Amino acid sequence: MALRVVCYLNQFFGQLGGEEKAGVGPQVVDGAVGAARAVQQALGDAGTVVATVICGDNYAAEQAERAVAEMVPLVAAARPDLVVAGPAFLAGRYGVACGALCAAVQAQLEVPVVTGMHAENPGVELYRRQVHVVQTGAEATRMLDDVKRLVALGLKLARREAIGAPVAEGYFARGLTRNVVAGAVAADRAVAMLLDKLAARPFASEVPRPAFPHVPAPRLIKTLEGATIALVTDGGLVPRGNPDGIEALNATRYGAYSIEGKTGLDAAQYDNPHRGYDTTWVKQDPHRLVPVDVARELERSGAIGKLHETVYSTVGVATTLAHSARMGAEIAEKLRAAGVDAVILTST
Amino acid sequence: MTPVAVMVGANRIVPAAGIIHPLGSADLSPDDEKALRRRIVEQALQALRTEVARPTVFTRE
Amino acid sequence: MRLELRWTDVDDLAAASATRLVGKRLEVDLQALGTLLATDARLTGIRLDLVHPGERCRIGRVFDVIAPRAKLDGGEDFPGVLGGVARAGDGRTLALAGVAVVATDQQTDSVGTLAVIDMAGPNAALSAFGRTHNLVISAWPSAGTARSDYLAAVRLAALRTAVDLARTARDTEPDRVEVFALPPSPRVPPEQAHLPRVAYVFQIHSHQRPTGLDEGILYGDPVRRMLPTVVHPNEVLDGAVLRGFMGRSVTTWATQNHPMIRALYAQHGRTLWFAGVVVTVAQATEPERVRSAFLTAGLVAQTLGADGAVFTKIGGGAPHVDMAQSASQCEALGVKTTVVVEDMSTDGSAEGMLLFDFPGVDAMVNVGSSQEPITLPAMDRVVGADDLAPKLLGETRATYGGLCGAIEQVGATRVMAEVR
Repeated sequence: MALRVVCYLNQFFGQLGGEEKAGVGPQVVDGAVGAARAVQQALGDAGTVVATVICGDNYAAEQAERAVAEMVPLVAAARPDLVVAGPAFLAGRYGVACGALCAAVQAQLEVPVVTGMHAENPGVELYRRQVHVVQTGAEATRMLDDVKRLVALGLKLARREAIGAPVAEGYFARGLTRNVVAGAVAADRAVAMLLDKLAARPFASEVPRPAFPHVPAPRLIKTLEGATIALVTDGGLVPRGNPDGIEALNATRYGAYSIEGKTGLDAAQYDNPHRGYDTTWVKQDPHRLVPVDVARELERSGAIGKLHETVYSTVGVATTLAHSARMGAEIAEKLRAAGVDAVILTST
Repeated sequence: MTPVAVMVGANRIVPAAGIIHPLGSADLSPDDEKALRRRIVEQALQALRTEVARPTVFTRE
Repeated sequence: MRLELRWTDVDDLAAASATRLVGKRLEVDLQALGTLLATDARLTGIRLDLVHPGERCRIGRVFDVIAPRAKLDGGEDFPGVLGGVARAGDGRTLALAGVAVVATDQQTDSVGTLAVIDMAGPNAALSAFGRTHNLVISAWPSAGTARSDYLAAVRLAALRTAVDLARTARDTEPDRVEVFALPPSPRVPPEQAHLPRVAYVFQIHSHQRPTGLDEGILYGDPVRRMLPTVVHPNEVLDGAVLRGFMGRSVTTWATQNHPMIRALYAQHGRTLWFAGVVVTVAQATEPERVRSAFLTAGLVAQTLGADGAVFTKIGGGAPHVDMAQSASQCEALGVKTTVVVEDMSTDGSAEGMLLFDFPGVDAMVNVGSSQEPITLPAMDRVVGADDLAPKLLGETRATYGGLCGAIEQVGATRVMAEVR
């Protein structure tokens, strides 16, 4: 069965005009126009370009959210089985618009999408994690070859076929991992890799090195004697009964627990669902995880201005980076709103 | 774990007493255990007073 | 040291009135075996089941898997745990191929931590134990038996069974004999002196869970205060090292058939010189971790004089960092390293694969993501987990880590996480 395909182009590739038409808003044309004809040619009998959505580069760049919101219904109306955006080559505004539209169509319409651009197009870094972005040349000189590769991957996506590795299929790595079955057991691969490393031959590590952004270190402006200090932990302290249902691993939740009027934590009132370490000892005495006792003493002696009356707690084991970052940001926002100056975070 | 804290970019890091009881130790008497905890918390406060530009591990003086 | 593994192939496993080998059929007197295992006062209600490759059967509550082995000319079986404390790794050892002993854990309520084995369907091919005939032991704790004592008893029952089964091959001519012989590490013949010397650093436990008193891991020692130690690879192959009770993606079976030791033996004298094995424990405190890391590096670089080292880990996140810290110390001493890691990401993002980033630790092989979901198809029979049978019979969701033998952190498996 021939697939229904919708193409997305900018004003130039949609043959509306050059830079003077870059402010034109979204419009839809039946069938294939401009560069979409190359898509039709690459599709052959496998599919039909039923509509081409065109939008000016400046319109898409300057009011991006509005442009996408206007284009998604135009795409939906054509009931596509696949959306092919671009290729945008090295054109930055166009590449970002292709990525944004593809991401929205995929998320809102659940229709397979594919786009293509040059490695240095800013749209690659912005959207490669969300959608398949095929690597193309910088200019349209080899348009049909590039479009053929977009269409080949797009057809696989539309037919729900297995997608190969980025290098094999020609798309930018999406930064997703997936279990596959290798040709040799891990021990044999490890010894082979070591022999390559020893012989100074090139080797391909199977794991990318992590790259965490630099976090600027805030300076404590007040003196400690005038500062409010909060206690936070990822070690799993919860009141008995775990009222917030914090997960034993892969946590997505955190709790805020009052220590108002408490000079210490009574073990009988607390529990710990953390599955990443043996919690026997911190259950016996929760201060081994959250030092409320000494913090209160330091507050009483005036060494710190005030101990914040809420302890925030989550379970830090196998927690995704995304949830860690979200929970950290939410907790930090609440602490800042409550006038907390500094945090001691105890971690296992 | 100190190396993880350094890697993710935590700026002020105080090594504590271990994974299973970061601010205590079942091997110590209650008094000594609390003294250990107090030392770690005081070191954390000292770290908060210290300006840093990058992830810094405050080892015991 | 010279170890002979005398392999006998088994292609059928059947209940019978005597435990013996008839051709390639292993017959087991289940009644006598049950009676023997029931002598352990910590256990009650022993149940033994036989399951076969291709059978639409799922084994649940899997705790550990043991390969049938028995010393042929005296010597102790699983020394320090089942047999007396004695050195392993020398002489002749009987080994059965095609059959395994599966121990189940009937006590824990936290069944999410236990694994399954599928004997048929797509998942059977992912695990070595989907291709072996399995004798499954289910035993319940007697009243008042503590958790660690129960697990020690279950493991002991499985070890006893493994020895019992292997002894049936005593009077049989083996189908093949594997010889593992490694001279003392410094004695390299001149014509092979050019080969790079390679050590293996084998993390055998993680102190994020302290061991029980009866949780023998190295010659029966619960390794509570163990510092990095040099052992002969044959000792590992011959039952000196058992998996502890924290069983995440590692089995005793894989340790007995250690894939890294085999891989290094296979290249020994050809592309490398196998310099030896250092066993280590992942530590729970910073000073212990630092101490363990530089002691390991010293043993690898200076005692074994290695040019390169491969590392494997056990457990989860803390051991991941501990291993890399040791590898980094080796790199600092000029030893090239390769580490075998799990994909630690829990949401399939490449950014979350690693918990460390140390200088020089740049050659990594991965054994896949234990968190990636997998579908368990419907089966006809569930063994080893009566209480979970309603759930485990039908199609259900699990993870790679929940499929015993799909991911072996010592490197016995082919599953790997590919970045896309």
